[in-house]
Amino acid sequence: MTAQGGLTVRNGAIEVADVDRVFRVEIDALDLPPGGVIALSGASGSGKTLVLEVLGLLRPPARGTLYAAAGNDLAALWSRGVAGDDLAHMRATLFGFVPQTGGLLPFLDVADNISLPQRICDRPDAAWCSELMERLGLTDLRKLWPDALSIGQRQRVAIARALAHRPAFVIADEPTAALDAQSADQVMALLLEVARDTGAGLLLSSHDTDRVTRFGIEMRRLAPFGDKPFTTRLEAAPC
Amino acid sequence: MLITWLALKDLWRERFYLFCNCALLVGILVPLLVLFGVKNGVYSALIGEMMENPAYLQIDTAGNVTLSEDDLAPLRGWTEIAFMTPKVRTQFDYMNVRQNSGRRIRQAVIVPSGTGDPTLPPGARLDNSNVAVSALLARQLELTPGASVQLISQAEGRPRQLVLDMRVGLVLEDRALGGRAVLVPFETLDLIEAFYDAYALPDYGIESGKDIAGRVPAYSGARIYARDLEALPGLQTRIEVQLGVTTHARTADVTSLLRLGRNLTLALSLTAAIATLGLAAALTLSFWSEVARKRRVLASLAMLGLTRRQLALFPVVQALVAAALGLVLSFLLYGIAGRMAQHWFGQGLPGGRNLSVISMGQAVMISLAVLCIVALAAAVAAWRAQRSDPALVLREVS
Repeated sequence: MTAQGGLTVRNGAIEVADVDRVFRVEIDALDLPPGGVIALSGASGSGKTLVLEVLGLLRPPARGTLYAAAGNDLAALWSRGVAGDDLAHMRATLFGFVPQTGGLLPFLDVADNISLPQRICDRPDAAWCSELMERLGLTDLRKLWPDALSIGQRQRVAIARALAHRPAFVIADEPTAALDAQSADQVMALLLEVARDTGAGLLLSSHDTDRVTRFGIEMRRLAPFGDKPFTTRLEAAPC
Repeated sequence: MLITWLALKDLWRERFYLFCNCALLVGILVPLLVLFGVKNGVYSALIGEMMENPAYLQIDTAGNVTLSEDDLAPLRGWTEIAFMTPKVRTQFDYMNVRQNSGRRIRQAVIVPSGTGDPTLPPGARLDNSNVAVSALLARQLELTPGASVQLISQAEGRPRQLVLDMRVGLVLEDRALGGRAVLVPFETLDLIEAFYDAYALPDYGIESGKDIAGRVPAYSGARIYARDLEALPGLQTRIEVQLGVTTHARTADVTSLLRLGRNLTLALSLTAAIATLGLAAALTLSFWSEVARKRRVLASLAMLGLTRRQLALFPVVQALVAAALGLVLSFLLYGIAGRMAQHWFGQGLPGGRNLSVISMGQAVMISLAVLCIVALAAAVAAWRAQRSDPALVLREVS
């Protein structure tokens, strides 16, 4: 199964209120076609993770944001509040996540961690899990616990888990930040390869612009917007 | 169910914390169970001893009183009364008892009785030819059920003795009735009194005397048994008010024991209430802190698409498993403690009863109460868990 339809944001904004200030990220337009890859770059604190959180249905966008993916009006899901089951179901079925530190569940072994999204979405496919583990070099590690793995191995497990249920999109936040250069290249290559083969759109954030450029990934930068304080904006055109 | 599987996997991996919560439950439940069991055991032994002795249920009119059937009739409808029989004048209730085939004679008190008398075994029936005898009298006259006996009385101014031929219907146990006694239907005692009052009793070979048809029965009191120990104090007062007489009963002993039972229950209830509050507070904080400690795990589950309802169940499942395990361990340790207590301190209890007793029904109720407390404590953790922020996993860097 490949992703049906792309991801589109129009007039997007994200606001995070602090005690005495409001941090705002603006996204005039963002389009990610099925199977496409976009990397968000920017300085620390520019809001890369915030954007990924909103796109992954982990945080609500500001009022007025138009956000659709794979034919679903995702912005409308938030109107029913954060407690809505639809939000959780849509997050489970549309997205796969690769957190910076893997985000693996410590009480499940590698194989169970990878198959968990299939269980949540009720899409069991043991053969696909096996194939993912084979391609990511995890077959021999399948019975190990996450705390027995290196950081690179954990990231590979996280990639397999993110793709196990064949989501339309994969969201990866600094997926190589915790790795040495060689491991980072290896993990990035695997992520791109497997995402491309499954047809999943890939949205990642990275401050490592050299690596992103080297892998030929379209990059969009978050930069301070005009003279507005605590406001950044996703640049319209690729860098 | 996916969330149950996940909760159990996590619980097993972090079984040290499971054992901590179990230890918390066991540490509070076992002393309470032992206290409750001992209270049950000792109290039921004392109450049981009283219940087995009908004398504790008995109310006797005191002194010389004269009652008619009209006086006693209203009492026959009282539900607190298990059995009631009128009494004859006390100077007429002793007779000589002789075994027909033997030569030995013993004087015995003749006690009015009848169906429902707690002194008799359940279902035992007496009639004008079948009597019950006390164990002491049976031993002294070598009486066994089925033996023929004669009740013999001699009255001043009467040329002939009154001789009543009877059969021993049953021999009572020592604890049921002390001394030498024969239990007969009231009609037999009434007959004896008529004999003393110089009436003619042609059926018994006594032709001389007043005509029995003109006799109006009069009672010198009543022997009454309360339905149960709780009814005794109130019934005694009610009888005294109704008949205008004073009565004898072991009300003080009964009231004292019932008060002891109530006080023990109250003391145990207060102890249990304080312990329950402590347990609930400790469990609430424990479950809450575990959810706080596992916030990244819960956030990961939320990020992967588990609903808030599923996240809320995560700590509840774990709490209920800990409670079930804690209950099993607690009852196991209670059983061991109960056996040890029985071995060391249980010899003095009447009837060889157990020192520590918890019935199956009580155990079920205790278990349900503990599960409810644990579920309530876990509800706070559940509220915290369902508010897990799925974005935490992306934002936090370990």
